[in-house]
Amino acid sequence: MKKLTLLLLYLVGMSGLLQAQETFPVNDVQDVRSKAYAFTNATVFTSSDTKVEGATLLIRNGKIEGVGKGLSVPQGYTTVDLGGKFIYPSFIDMYTNYGMPEAERSRGGGFGGAEQIQSNTAGAYNGNEAIKSEFNAAEVFTVNDRDAKGWRDLGFGSVLSFRSDGLARGTSTLVTLADNTPNQVVLDPKTAAHYSFNKGSSRQNYPSSAMGYISLLKQTYLDAEWYGSFAVQPFTDLSLQAWNNTQSMPQIFEANNWVNILRADKLGDEFGVQYIMRSGGDSYQRLDEVKATGASLIVPLNFPDAYNVDDPIDAYKVSLENMKHWELAPANLSYLEKAGIDFALTVDGLSKKSDFWSNLRKAIDYGLSEDAALKALTEVPAKLMGVADMVGSLKEGMVANFIITSGNVFDEDATIYENWIQGKPYKLNDMVAPDLSGQYVLALGGDSYDLEISGKPGRPQAKIVVNDTTDVKVNLSLDEEMVSLSFNPDPKDKEGGMISLSGWIQDKSLAGTGQMSNGAWVDWSANYADPLEAKGERGGRGGSDKAPELGEVIYPFVAYGNKEVPQQENILIKNATVWTMEEAGMLENTDVLLENGKITQIGKNLAARGARVIDGTGKHLSPGIIDEHSHIGASSINDRATNSSMVRIGDVVDSEDQEIYRALSGGVTAIQILHGSANPIGGQSALIKLRWGHAPESMKIDNADGFIKFALGENVKRSRSDNSIRYPQTRMGVEQVYVDAFQSARDYEKKWKTYNALSASAKAKAEKPRKDLAMETMLEILNKERFITCHSYVQSEINMLMKVAEQFDFRINTFTHILEGYKVADKMAEHGVGASTFSDWWAYKWEVRYAIPYNSTIMMREGVVTAVNSDNASLMRRLNQEAAKAVKYGDLDPYEAFKMATINPATLLHLDDRMGSIKVGKDADVVLWSDNPLSIYAQAEKTIVDGTVFYDMEKDQEMKKEIREERARLVQKMRDAKSKGGSTRPARATYRHHWECDDVHVYEGN
Amino acid sequence: MKKFHISFLIIIALFLGKNGTAQTRVVPAPAQDTPILLQGATIHTGTGDVIENGIVAFADGKITAVGPAGTSVTDQGNYEVMDVSGKHIYPGLVLTSSDLGLVEVSSVRATADFAEQGDINPNVRSIVAYNTDSELIPTFRFNGILLAQTAPRSGVISGSSSVVQLDAWNWEDAAYHTDDAIHMGWPNKEFSPRWWMGETNSRPNPNYDKTVSEVDQLFTDAAAYGRIGNPDIINLKLKAMQGLFDGSKALFIGTNDAKAIISAVKMARKHGVQRIVVDGGYEALLIKDFLVENKIPVILSDIHGLPSYDHEDTIFPYKMAKEFSDAGIEIIISGGAGYAARNMPFYAGTAVAYGLDYEEAIKAMTLNPAKALGIADRAGSLETGKDAMILIVEGDLLDMRTSKVEQAYIQGRKIQMDARQQWLYKKYSDKYGHDTGEGGR
Repeated sequence: MKKLTLLLLYLVGMSGLLQAQETFPVNDVQDVRSKAYAFTNATVFTSSDTKVEGATLLIRNGKIEGVGKGLSVPQGYTTVDLGGKFIYPSFIDMYTNYGMPEAERSRGGGFGGAEQIQSNTAGAYNGNEAIKSEFNAAEVFTVNDRDAKGWRDLGFGSVLSFRSDGLARGTSTLVTLADNTPNQVVLDPKTAAHYSFNKGSSRQNYPSSAMGYISLLKQTYLDAEWYGSFAVQPFTDLSLQAWNNTQSMPQIFEANNWVNILRADKLGDEFGVQYIMRSGGDSYQRLDEVKATGASLIVPLNFPDAYNVDDPIDAYKVSLENMKHWELAPANLSYLEKAGIDFALTVDGLSKKSDFWSNLRKAIDYGLSEDAALKALTEVPAKLMGVADMVGSLKEGMVANFIITSGNVFDEDATIYENWIQGKPYKLNDMVAPDLSGQYVLALGGDSYDLEISGKPGRPQAKIVVNDTTDVKVNLSLDEEMVSLSFNPDPKDKEGGMISLSGWIQDKSLAGTGQMSNGAWVDWSANYADPLEAKGERGGRGGSDKAPELGEVIYPFVAYGNKEVPQQENILIKNATVWTMEEAGMLENTDVLLENGKITQIGKNLAARGARVIDGTGKHLSPGIIDEHSHIGASSINDRATNSSMVRIGDVVDSEDQEIYRALSGGVTAIQILHGSANPIGGQSALIKLRWGHAPESMKIDNADGFIKFALGENVKRSRSDNSIRYPQTRMGVEQVYVDAFQSARDYEKKWKTYNALSASAKAKAEKPRKDLAMETMLEILNKERFITCHSYVQSEINMLMKVAEQFDFRINTFTHILEGYKVADKMAEHGVGASTFSDWWAYKWEVRYAIPYNSTIMMREGVVTAVNSDNASLMRRLNQEAAKAVKYGDLDPYEAFKMATINPATLLHLDDRMGSIKVGKDADVVLWSDNPLSIYAQAEKTIVDGTVFYDMEKDQEMKKEIREERARLVQKMRDAKSKGGSTRPARATYRHHWECDDVHVYEGN
Repeated sequence: MKKFHISFLIIIALFLGKNGTAQTRVVPAPAQDTPILLQGATIHTGTGDVIENGIVAFADGKITAVGPAGTSVTDQGNYEVMDVSGKHIYPGLVLTSSDLGLVEVSSVRATADFAEQGDINPNVRSIVAYNTDSELIPTFRFNGILLAQTAPRSGVISGSSSVVQLDAWNWEDAAYHTDDAIHMGWPNKEFSPRWWMGETNSRPNPNYDKTVSEVDQLFTDAAAYGRIGNPDIINLKLKAMQGLFDGSKALFIGTNDAKAIISAVKMARKHGVQRIVVDGGYEALLIKDFLVENKIPVILSDIHGLPSYDHEDTIFPYKMAKEFSDAGIEIIISGGAGYAARNMPFYAGTAVAYGLDYEEAIKAMTLNPAKALGIADRAGSLETGKDAMILIVEGDLLDMRTSKVEQAYIQGRKIQMDARQQWLYKKYSDKYGHDTGEGGR
């Protein structure tokens, strides 16, 4: 009640000052004014590419009445002669939270606390708190003049305002920055619908990862469509209803970096949606891929500060990518423009709004054209929001939002005088302040001085020129049309007194009276003689000729990325010891020819046929190492729903993970990126080749079978979280989760079959079943279209899962880790499941205390297809040695042991028809080793994927040198920036977490 | 019939095993009664030397002779001569900075005894918590580790470590050098980011200065305490610190940070700490001259780790030992804390693969750690008069492709090499009818 009263008082208080609204009460007599102005003699940018000189702009009641040359000024208009000053449409920021209240953080469900399984939102809304499509910014929007001024001072007249909360954030509203009632400033109540990869205030258990966010949005698209398909909805979901109602609006996605742009675009493509993306200023790092999305971008100007690199040991900790991004970030817009990507600019992301102009001018110095900059502030945002008929240009009938500037607004010394919003002026600088700049002869008593006045109108600076090298500073202040001056004519004479003058402007000159140091009064005058001598005239901004020299973009954008992504070659490796991993066994003194990405010949004395020849004498050539269980190359690993089969690692492949390169240095060529082990039914895997430098999608192995991670034991029953309430908490419950999920999938299938069998008319009457992504995945498993890799340790649970699978008539594909596999190896062989295990891990948790380093040997001897795996970015570089431990511990035949790192993991991943051995026709994925690959002394000298050398030990050492030189150059450049007064931040390390199975990450978007 | 056959085999296996008796327990070996002379092997002495076709003799638990074939041994007639031609003999490996016997299953709190409450615990002693029946011990011995420094790990002054020999009935038996060192974890200037919250940047430690001044105060007070002949009030913490000033205890400084090494060493030297070892020292190359000038050895326990910084050599940790050694820093190769320390020989193997001299690598696991632990007069190398800590290895100890530790001797005692992991191997191999050959030793 109190709040309401205050609000009313506020509205009543304002109504007297502001444009009246007929529906509001008046506490005064009527005071209606026409508010009609004519701005004459102006250079008007009616749109970003149309400049009209000597034009007149007519506005009335907040709208534009007309603009053009030779317009006559109707009666009753106040005429403002702009004398050649410039008029631009006021700028538009289409990415703000202006006037939005903070979202309240939901309670409970925090890290380590009891999980919040259900939504806590009151009302008939979506089952997931992160879906807030029902939210409408215009309903809670308040005018905040102090905030508005921040934008107005920069030249902005209108902004799009939304609330940053949730994966689906509801609608935004287009408002002006006038200080008026919301009713007046809201130009368009529902302008766009907003989305993100940040669940915001929700603390609900699911989703909690980048891939979960994508899955939930996908499911919501499906649910909304389903909900909309009913004549009468079987239940009420206001979020889905709102979702459907907002699909025709512009759809804006907060992506924040290029990789999320690609992810969001892929999501949109599935549902025929083209998002406008809020980008992160790093799009230059993958320009082609960003362009290929076809998305228009909203781009921030948040250029990072240089690091303080004065201390070399501190500087050592700063990553190359951060150093390079510091240098290249200001060039991002120029890259976008050259690539022909449509973009709007936003103030969002700046720590201080006031950095906007200096950063924008910097971007122009780095090659952005002024035309593109103006477009990005006016026309593009108006067009993207579908409001080009209201704002963004100056045409009859449009909102009277415009700025008056001293000249070209992008010039270093340009002044924005006034920002008119809805026909109301906001004065930023005094437009009528006199311009005193010029050279004067100051006559004072009998003396004469050369006086020089410079500076902007209203802010003059002055000096007395004694001779070519000596000046005397003059304190000069201007108050309306009056001036005060004081100076000491003889700077050497410190004791000499000041002369103080007071006077006024008279035509172009100054005159007045003053007092000498001895107290004597004098008359003085300063007669205008000449204009200031022109200083080195600066050319127009922009253009690549002015752009500073910059380092090159590397792919990926991390250390050991390449300027050019490595290309496929034809290669003949001669005279090596070849581990075929086929019946052929080990072949001494053998040549292997790689052509067009395939192995084409194996034999002695092969002809090169134009291929590059590599001498393999004394070396060993093996198939590439394959890691069945890896967590590198992904932005997130675990989601937390008990059944998260709908989430896909493939949605979050991270091509910029340096561990990909480090794995290549250990001879690894292909990996399965697995979901973690936080839940009984985890997510879908991604199978990738380590094509270092490629973008995420092109790392994926084409036409690979689908896999999914399951997990058993301590992790899934949340043994280490005392507060966990999530089902299941025991191995007994784990079994029930599986039986339930598979049974439900069968029921789901039945429901769909029944529905699909109906006639069209019967379908229309029947209740359509919901498409459920988790159930779809479970069905794929039942239908042998997707295969299970299950994290497992103890024999009871291993046996249990095999029995569950048998009950549903399918087979488990792989038990991964499986440290007690040796206890049930016979049952595994009978079931037909493979194993992917650690060589010698144990003792790190209760369930692995009976792990033995003989496990792989026993399983191999029992006929189980067995691989060694890593789960660990460090270990994966030595999987050859992990295989060799079976020789040490269990006396396994060395050749058999090496299969555990090559053909066996290929078999487990259903890739053995094209990888895992050296055989004609298979992929040219090979490693040249300095020694027997089972030996600790073996080094991978060259790792080749698809005939492309992605790791070369010699080149690696050259790159190390280049990296050192590049860093030295950047360090010097940062020092220069600092000495020129640029602000810096402390030199600190950036870390990239090395994912392992157990890691649960509350993923927050970036 | 087949079923009967298999169960029969299992029964036989359970009762007999390969050597006629089924081992289901690990029993500490009795004192050496017969002098032994090993001949024909390649002997890696641990001092940086290698002797082809050499002999090693030991009696009453002490080494009596080491040298090339034909080296004379007093009372040679009393020795049992073993021909170990083609094999390699090494000194027993010495593991530093482990938590062996203090932790059984790291994720089960009830089994962990390495971290006492509080930040300043010099008086806390690992020896009294050392569990001689830890199931990890036989797995370490299996790969040649015969002596281990077991150390508390937490807070700033973690406590006092002791060196144990790995074949004992109880901790008093095991104690090889009690309270050999105090372990200090130098505070971090910056905290690692909380990745689970999405952080990627480190944060400054707001308490760094405060913690450092507390440590400095502790050393000041401890030094002053030591100058009082007979203190009225016994202060356990200050008392425990005393050995640092007379050199009877070493100070192990745990940090990887270059600047922290300088801060910590300068602080310790200022207060008169005699023997200092840096444990970690990942960034030590940045300040190599400081370490060389101060004659401070560095323990490398993460040779198989990933580079800490993106711009470093892709395989920098593999090359660390070589680069440190070239810089003139004395290196100690360790397996660190945890069960995986049994891979220590392979860490050394990797160091050799990337340039470290082979015998230097052996020395880095034997004599160098023995010096750091203050036991070099008794162990760490194959030299006459030292305790007979000996490994007989078929193949190359550092290469999993060939390495098999056939027999180990601790103080001349022929220790049992197998334990539960081997028994389980045998148990299930027998169940499936697999031939394990010599495996499962």
